[in-house]
Amino acid sequence: MDPLAPTAGIDAARLRRLQLAGVASGFTAGAWLGAAEAPTKVVALGLSPVVISLTMVLGVFLARWSVPALLRGTAAIGADVRQAPHLVAWAVLAGCLWAVANTLTVFAIRDIGLAIAFPLWNANSLLGILWGAVFFNELHGAGWSRRLGVLGGAVLMCAGAALLAVASAAGTPGGHAGRGVVAALAAGALWGTMYIPYRKAYLTGMNPLAFVTFFSVGEVGLMTALALADRGGPGPLAAELAGARTVLFWLLLGGFVWVVGDLFQQYAAKYVGISRGIPLSNTNQLWGLVWGLLVFGELRGRPGATYGQVIGGSLLMALGAAAIALASATGAEHRRWQEAAAREGTRYGIDPAYVRAALAGESAGPAPSRRSWLDWTLVCVATAVFVAFGLIARVPQLPLGWGWVVGLAAAMLGLLCSTGLLLWRTTRFN
Amino acid sequence: MTPTGRSRLAVMLCDAQFWVPVAVLLGGLLVLAWIR
Repeated sequence: MDPLAPTAGIDAARLRRLQLAGVASGFTAGAWLGAAEAPTKVVALGLSPVVISLTMVLGVFLARWSVPALLRGTAAIGADVRQAPHLVAWAVLAGCLWAVANTLTVFAIRDIGLAIAFPLWNANSLLGILWGAVFFNELHGAGWSRRLGVLGGAVLMCAGAALLAVASAAGTPGGHAGRGVVAALAAGALWGTMYIPYRKAYLTGMNPLAFVTFFSVGEVGLMTALALADRGGPGPLAAELAGARTVLFWLLLGGFVWVVGDLFQQYAAKYVGISRGIPLSNTNQLWGLVWGLLVFGELRGRPGATYGQVIGGSLLMALGAAAIALASATGAEHRRWQEAAAREGTRYGIDPAYVRAALAGESAGPAPSRRSWLDWTLVCVATAVFVAFGLIARVPQLPLGWGWVVGLAAAMLGLLCSTGLLLWRTTRFN
Repeated sequence: MTPTGRSRLAVMLCDAQFWVPVAVLLGGLLVLAWIR
């Protein structure tokens, strides 16, 4: 069978455009997810890690209910949910997985440091490849060269991540090494498994903008429970939040930036699958390092070997990402994805036209209508919260490379606009 | 032939793909309880 032959209902040119949109989304996700750490770096030490995580998640929650309302409208999101209401449970489950994984990383960094912890949980991409192949027919019919491209690329990226993490480690923390390793591996397992609900939803036809709104319910619910348990109840938690009100804006901003990256990650998972989408968005470590080096002046005065590790690790990550980007799905593999989608549709009794249209990046229903009063209310409330915390925010007294801030922000906005435009022209954000 | 909410729930509870994330989530919570 000709591997480049068109798939049923999707011609070869359309498939190439969808793959390009997915790969571009993966790289843009990496840029924005990596930058999400930057606002959190300006927060002075002394705040509990779990409270930092909770505040970021609250920013995520606000952004995830306002951005989809602005881009697509709550009416379209409601229509999506009515087609496949069971996916709401999957979205909440994915949010819970994220919250526990994120909290575990805090403890992993405390016990074994970022250098060892980061590459351990970055192995989530290997688990994503496994789940993609086992459950969703990914890499089936892809041919050995493409399988090698994806697997080899993911291994190269893990090696690069390990080198970068060693280079960026501030010091060797003491404590419980075994416990930290288990926490980091568990975080990787949770994040790698979180993509099962993602892929399930997108194969079935749910729009990523609808999925993320319900994902955030699980995320904020479980994160609040974890923070309450960690702080010892609502009183101490509220007191800590009130005491930190002048820095909460930066954490909320970090959450907002993270959401933009995550939205692109969702489109990558939808159009190139989790086996390729996860490693591509894992380039976030590279962007985080660039922010640390150029804006915050990290690694200044460190030995030459450290810079060698940074250059070597960055090259390995870039090579791995390029290998994965070039190993895009062929018509034969896409046909296997369609089989998996048809199986899901039959199992849950979903309109086949809806499933087929979503996989082709099209909408089966009527075009989204104008925004309602509810959409504008959500956007106004989220904006008001950000403005209110922004007005009382304390500007940090940190030596920052402002020229680099402008340059990196321009690069991120360039990626946002170009990939957003590509997604809009190719899929209308479906 | 659209299944009702109840039958969709029944299908989901019989779906192995549902129990894998649930099991991993429970495992993660256990690890969290252990390291705290």
